[in-house]
Amino acid sequence: MRITTTCGLALLAAALLSACSGGAATTANPNTSQQSTQNVYTGPPPATPDVEAFEQNLWVNIEGSNRCGACHGVGGSGSPSFARSDDINQAYQAALSVVNLSQPSNSTMVAQENAGHNCWLSSNSACADIVTTWITNWAGGASGSSAGTQITLTAPPDITVGATKVYPSDPTLFASTVYPVVQAWCSRCHSDTAASPQSPYFASATLATAYAYAQPLMDLNTPTNSMFYIRLAQQSHNCWGNPVSCPNSAATMLAAIQAFANQVTVTPIDPSLIVSKALSLTQGTVASGEGRYDAHDIAKWQFQEGQGLTAYDTSGVDPAMNLSLNGNISWAGGWGITLGTGGASAQATTATSSKLAQKIQASGQYSIEMWIDPANTTQTNADVVAYADSATSNNFAFAQDAVQYQGYALSTVNPSGTALTTNPDDNDDSLAQAALQHVVMTYDPTNGRKIYVDGQLSCVPATGGPCPAGVDVDKMTGGALTNWDPSSLFILGSAPGGQRAWQGTIKFVAIHDVALTQQQVQQNYAAGVGATYYLLFDVSSLTNTPQSYVMFQASQYDNYSYLFFRPTFISLDSSWTPTAPIAIQGIRLGENGQELPVDQAYIPLNVTIDEKDYSATTGQLLSPIGTVIPLQNGPTSDQFFLTFAQIGSNSHTYTESVPTPSAPVDLAPSSDIGVRLWDELNNTMANVTTVPLTATAPLATYQNVQQQLPNVTDMESATAANVISAAQLAVSYCQSLLASPGTYFPGLTSAQFAAPATSVLTPGSGMDLIASPLIQNLTGQGAGGQALATQPADATVRSEIYNLIQALESDTPGASTQTVTMGVCTALLSSATSLIK
Amino acid sequence: MFDRLIRIAEHRAAALLVVAALTLQPLTAAHAGPNEQATRLFERLTGTPPSTSVLTQMASDISSHDYTDAANLAINDPGHAFYNVTIRNFAQPMSNKPQSLFVPLNDYTATIIGMVRDNMPFNTVLSQDVIYVGDPSKVSGLPAYAYNNDNQYEYMDNANADLAAVLMAQTQSSVTGIPSAATAGVLTTYAGASAYFYAGTNRAMVRFTMMDYLCDDLQTIEDTSRPPDRIRQDPSRSPGGDSRTFLTQCIGCHSGMDALAGAFAYYNFVPTCDPATGCPAFNIPGQMVYTPGQVQQKYAINTGNFPQGYVTTDDSWINHWRQGPNSLLGWSSSLPGSGNGAKAFGQELENTQQFATCQVQKAFQAMCLRPPSNAADRAEVSQITSDFVSGNYNLKTAFAESAVYCMGQ
Repeated sequence: MRITTTCGLALLAAALLSACSGGAATTANPNTSQQSTQNVYTGPPPATPDVEAFEQNLWVNIEGSNRCGACHGVGGSGSPSFARSDDINQAYQAALSVVNLSQPSNSTMVAQENAGHNCWLSSNSACADIVTTWITNWAGGASGSSAGTQITLTAPPDITVGATKVYPSDPTLFASTVYPVVQAWCSRCHSDTAASPQSPYFASATLATAYAYAQPLMDLNTPTNSMFYIRLAQQSHNCWGNPVSCPNSAATMLAAIQAFANQVTVTPIDPSLIVSKALSLTQGTVASGEGRYDAHDIAKWQFQEGQGLTAYDTSGVDPAMNLSLNGNISWAGGWGITLGTGGASAQATTATSSKLAQKIQASGQYSIEMWIDPANTTQTNADVVAYADSATSNNFAFAQDAVQYQGYALSTVNPSGTALTTNPDDNDDSLAQAALQHVVMTYDPTNGRKIYVDGQLSCVPATGGPCPAGVDVDKMTGGALTNWDPSSLFILGSAPGGQRAWQGTIKFVAIHDVALTQQQVQQNYAAGVGATYYLLFDVSSLTNTPQSYVMFQASQYDNYSYLFFRPTFISLDSSWTPTAPIAIQGIRLGENGQELPVDQAYIPLNVTIDEKDYSATTGQLLSPIGTVIPLQNGPTSDQFFLTFAQIGSNSHTYTESVPTPSAPVDLAPSSDIGVRLWDELNNTMANVTTVPLTATAPLATYQNVQQQLPNVTDMESATAANVISAAQLAVSYCQSLLASPGTYFPGLTSAQFAAPATSVLTPGSGMDLIASPLIQNLTGQGAGGQALATQPADATVRSEIYNLIQALESDTPGASTQTVTMGVCTALLSSATSLIK
Repeated sequence: MFDRLIRIAEHRAAALLVVAALTLQPLTAAHAGPNEQATRLFERLTGTPPSTSVLTQMASDISSHDYTDAANLAINDPGHAFYNVTIRNFAQPMSNKPQSLFVPLNDYTATIIGMVRDNMPFNTVLSQDVIYVGDPSKVSGLPAYAYNNDNQYEYMDNANADLAAVLMAQTQSSVTGIPSAATAGVLTTYAGASAYFYAGTNRAMVRFTMMDYLCDDLQTIEDTSRPPDRIRQDPSRSPGGDSRTFLTQCIGCHSGMDALAGAFAYYNFVPTCDPATGCPAFNIPGQMVYTPGQVQQKYAINTGNFPQGYVTTDDSWINHWRQGPNSLLGWSSSLPGSGNGAKAFGQELENTQQFATCQVQKAFQAMCLRPPSNAADRAEVSQITSDFVSGNYNLKTAFAESAVYCMGQ
């Protein structure tokens, strides 16, 4: 007995069939929104395993009257009868004429759905995706793998590169339009003569320099694509005005660029360039979907719709868990949804979500697979996906916690839903990044959870502490899922109720009812995400080779750019071989009639196409790397082409203009003198006091205060801490000096040092016993009979010393000569005569 | 009583400071005689005042226009302050990532001091197989050189050893054990490696070497027009989902920097401290490793950020900054602009015109206490640079000529 689906409402079905076969001028579409019921297939059994695969993967999903069976069944108006329910073998034969098993996405059935032929959803692309999945599953047989899927390359339309606006070599127009704006508002940073120059120098005082730097930041063909404008309008980068207004600043800038662009005439592409034919992204051959392991998808979202408020579950497994989009959410370029600030989510209903509990509780294992691009690495406890009742109760969830990911999996061994965190003890090993990442959490009853990021098993230590390489153990292991709540809600971007909100872009989500193996995870990681195309740039006329192309894989990378990668030389003439080598050098990417000013990754390329490396089926890879180029008008409008420094016998010499050195600018006059640095001061004090650098006390003081001593010579940067520390060091040196003064003070004996100062340091000659040697040694003034105009005059210092001696004698009655000398020495040694050089 | 005395002395010192500052006469053509010129020349070159006898001799030399002799008196002063203070302060900030003067003496700084003392061509500082270590016969109790710490140098520093007298040249390969071909002057010293090969992605070695030896940080070098073919997989091409950030900012540095950083693919610094619990900011315990033929794992981190990015397979590098605005740095036409390994990278930088200009600018700043500020200064720097290059990159001449220029007239 075989289970099949058929129409639940016989009368309605009859009416629909009638409508299909009535031949009326206008025909009613079949009601594809109604529910179907299971029915029994009683016809002959499948004749071959492939017929059985057709029945199980495609026919069972389309034979109902709410799908194709309404018209393509027995006696229906549609032909062929691939949905007939009387004989599965005849249905199989009919289906073969409308499917392409080697490339399911190229099937007639898929093309019909894409064209809107009785799609049962509001999104044609979603119907097409679902039918593709069913055909793919049929083609993959029991494994469900589409690894055998092969792309058939087809020649693109013959399009010649169009005309465009190019920058005039003379900067006069720039000087009268954009230059005044950037000079007025950007020159404080973006000028080579700014106090803190910040490249690019588009506001340089030298016009030629500014013009050269400004060109990559303007778009004469579409001024609103100019980075000058975008930085102000969308990124609020240093706007101006009083009050500051980014809209006004952006408008001023845009007006200037438009004024510039309006005066530049459209010109054909430079005829001296060696140019390929042109084509847009969507004129390429679809390349995505290759190699995914999706045999056990039970729910899948590719977010291809690009509009509306529903993201469709294209797994083809009923009931479809279509997601309604809520809050600050938008469609991302190149497939995906972006969840912004203030709360956003995409959620199924509890009814359709129950599919997960039904399937997963039966299998006891599952995997959550996603391509995500977190908006930042600061958000914590943020649910990317949850199958939950609330923020604290879930069957499963996958969250971002700053630079780590967390997996939640309710089971009998983990009834409280404790999170498994990647690398909890080492945030230097950041797993979550603000970049597109492939993340997978698998769960099985033996191992519990495993988390993979970009195909690699994350390191999760079993016992905490350092994380040995290659270790990934869920120390809670796994259990049964009998405690799941089947009435939970599946939601992306937050927990139910809006808590634990996550920000970022989600480009793909799939739920599998098995725990994917590492190999399967890596297979899906390698398959990539998004709409990828093969772009074949015709170079036949340049190489004198029939049907020869430089082929890129390309996709829309995000809302602002395209990704081009793996350029390959290939001829669609499979009999052709490069009997004569073909040299290819210096490929540049062009867009909308202009060579791009940035991200030209293939300029250094230098490859020769030859028999050794060329394959008739795969061509010859020119470079394994990829590059990102700006999106200008959108994937259906932007027209790309290639130029070459050399291809075959054609060559073009690229010469870069010689940069102009910026005109030097005089600086404000600065002081001719400065402060002695830390070690200069130490050496100076040692030098003038004759105390060795190695003397214990000064060395200890120096090591203690050295970081408070001056570390720049600029006097305006000198601080009180510098002066105080210098005084401390001076004290130490003077103490060491006076502990054994030797002949430093030739007129003083040991007895005089010990005697009260008032008896020795009498005004005049008495005070000079310490003043004279200190002035000569510490300032250099008068030493060897020399006078220095750069040091304070002897008399001035001597007078200050006299005053100091008297003050010390007065304030400290009975102080010895040595003590007073100590004070004078310290004062003079820590003064500007030592500090300044 | 002593504390009180000190407070009074400090108070009076402040008064003296003001008096002295007011009284100190800026040197001008009208004021500077041979004595003042000699004093300033000595002070700028050594950081310390001259002795009476040296001052007298220098003043005499200056009077007879023997400026070189006068400068040499200061440079060769028995206290060796020119090497132990001035050159040390010139080198020390380059030896550590915080660019601090206040780090313990290390083999990076000592090697520069020794090279200057011995008149080694300074345009080999980033490539030569050389290192300066302490002479154990001149420093009692000196620990042996070790490639995993700076104990020997800290010992000399704590002992206030006269570096100019006790340092001796060795081949770096002989004392560190790395192959001679893998040595790259100060870059592969212990201090250089611990500063710039520790953790990260080895891009720091490119950035800081350009800062230190070309006087240009990335913000003045970035150029978005260079090909990004060597940008590795780890920089996101769409940071936060916005590729414009990459196309207008990230690419400007990474296109040139990543292409050069391939030179260090076989180098790493393996710390013996635990980064998770904290390692010091400089002189990190650990040792540089060199793995010829085997690219370090740090070149393959976060590969999923942009799988189509460049995959490092060897230590080749290419200098994309030879073209475009940075061609003004004056790259040597006798070098190919690409190569393998750190030594060739060092030669690429140290043979630029900008390398010579940068060293002279730093010497000028140290001697004149200002950057070249007007046409006369710039002309002088140009002349000194020319002399520096034609004089076999003798750094003493750059300091001496700068000091003479700023000693007053």
